[in-house]
Amino acid sequence: MERAVPFKQTKLKRFLVKRRDGLIAAAILGPMIFWWLVVSGFPTLFGFILGFFEWIGIQGHPKFIGLGNYARFFEDPQYYSALWRSVWMGALVSGVTLLAGFGAALLMNMPLFGKGIYRSIWYIPAVTSTVATTQIFNILLDPTNGVINNFLKSIGRDPVIWQFSVGWSVFWIVMYSVWKGVGGAALIWLAGLQSVDESLYEAAEIDGAGRRQKLRYVTIPGLKPIATYIVITSLIGAIQIYEQVMFITGGGPYGKTEVLVFRIYRDAFWDFNLGMAGASSLIMAVIVFTATVLYYRRSTKADRSNTIPLKKGA
Amino acid sequence: MDPATLPSSKTRKPNSSHIIAHLVLAGVGLILFYPLIFMILSGFFTKDEFTTTVLGFFPIPRHATLDNYLILFQGSSDTSTQTYFLNSLYRTLYSTFFAMLTSFLAGYAFARLKFKGKDALFLTLLATQMIPGTIALIPTYLQLARWPFAGGNDVFTGGTGLLDTWWVYLLGGPAINIMGMFLVKQSLEKVPFELDEAAKMDGAGTLRVIFQILLPLQMPIMAFIAITTALGTWNDFATPFFYTTSDHMQTLPSAITRLSSAAVGPGGSPNYPMIITLGLGTTVPALLIFFLFQKYIVQGLANTGIKG
Repeated sequence: MERAVPFKQTKLKRFLVKRRDGLIAAAILGPMIFWWLVVSGFPTLFGFILGFFEWIGIQGHPKFIGLGNYARFFEDPQYYSALWRSVWMGALVSGVTLLAGFGAALLMNMPLFGKGIYRSIWYIPAVTSTVATTQIFNILLDPTNGVINNFLKSIGRDPVIWQFSVGWSVFWIVMYSVWKGVGGAALIWLAGLQSVDESLYEAAEIDGAGRRQKLRYVTIPGLKPIATYIVITSLIGAIQIYEQVMFITGGGPYGKTEVLVFRIYRDAFWDFNLGMAGASSLIMAVIVFTATVLYYRRSTKADRSNTIPLKKGA
Repeated sequence: MDPATLPSSKTRKPNSSHIIAHLVLAGVGLILFYPLIFMILSGFFTKDEFTTTVLGFFPIPRHATLDNYLILFQGSSDTSTQTYFLNSLYRTLYSTFFAMLTSFLAGYAFARLKFKGKDALFLTLLATQMIPGTIALIPTYLQLARWPFAGGNDVFTGGTGLLDTWWVYLLGGPAINIMGMFLVKQSLEKVPFELDEAAKMDGAGTLRVIFQILLPLQMPIMAFIAITTALGTWNDFATPFFYTTSDHMQTLPSAITRLSSAAVGPGGSPNYPMIITLGLGTTVPALLIFFLFQKYIVQGLANTGIKG
């Protein structure tokens, strides 16, 4: 027996040396991926299945109804108009944010004194908590003692009850989202501007290009890869916004600002209509997934493993 | 990669366009900063004075008080602000620690080790990032509620499972952090492999190579992962709001959520002074983190924004 032990050890050792990398990788990734499957993979798969059941109330019994929830989604105006609202409000939010961010990035790219401070100040809203800062917006917009209405009264104008108007409600949701997102957009545009090859500008100058022509023929084409990235990520994020809707308008007035993700939360946590929430989530997932795949298709030229993974949510 | 050190596209002398740029950047910057100024100023009001003052753009209290800040640390009789603050803090430290650990180790495995099915596994993990998180929301609730043998459950039912316990905050920690893994992999691949081999020749073991040679080189990326995770967890209201109910389980953002008009309903009037207090408790630490580490945030954003 005593002689068998060292022999066994060398065999084991050979195995360990040969499979060294694989074993280390398994030891590192195995537990992490297993746990990820438990807390993220399984719930996601479960979510896909949920939409095919009628399940009301956590204690209720799920009943398989096939595509029933999906049929309801496209028949009930509450749902398809919420989806439509997500799309156009998301497009509005992301359009304004990206345009304002682009303008800011052009200015921040100039050799200005103290431009680092501007970058910080513009980015600050992004690090604040949505719950806390939407509450500040609510105080500013309060119908009776709101700062903006107090100001309107002081200059002799009638106060506005923002919350009763669909137009104003949408306006403030968009303003809040732009307030929060414009700094981040500016930073990414700025990184893009600074990655444009400097010699192209010099070549354009030699050819007698003015500032506007350089923007048109050098800067904008040079920004194409980053523009694809930022437009897609921003749209994917904006189509899923719900926190500002929940905290600023609560979907009001009369559900006219209710976006789909907020509807999903209401179904799931207020009405406990789990099947319907699952079906709506799947529809949202399909839309986001399609947009992402289209983005990846466009970036096939680059090494795929180097393509940026898109962040979940906003 | 610091954008500030890269040459900028224009190198003209200051002129009128610079003055306009300064005016726009500073002017809009002030407007962007304004809600936070308002919040900080309101923080000096007593509750009674805040509700009776006609609020202007820059409300100045007649009797300034620091009570709002003090109760964040000491708690007060009507709310458990101190509990919320500590819950936020512990939760953030825990998530940040695990995000750094899992990102780095997983990034190392994908950048440095050779094993079967590596590329397929990596791409599969990346692809799952395309699925929006909304879909897992209700299943996660059910999973927590039906966690076998926990919280009075006989196998799956009968009790509340892991809902409303600290497990809600702890469970996600050890799972792989895919965004972080991606960033570490990208960054490690720029470090020459000869460095590992040279260290091994000098007698360093694998663990030593990982933690004493490679980790220090990844500090900027690790800082970015840490800061974004910390801010994300610190500001997250949804997890506590949806998966816990007890007062002692709440964090600062979820405590605000419970006071907000969304929870009070259309008829009620939110307790704005308390909301501002908790809002300050949420916002000021986030601002401090940002100002201390903004270099890494700007750098990291540029890295995630540009390929390669």
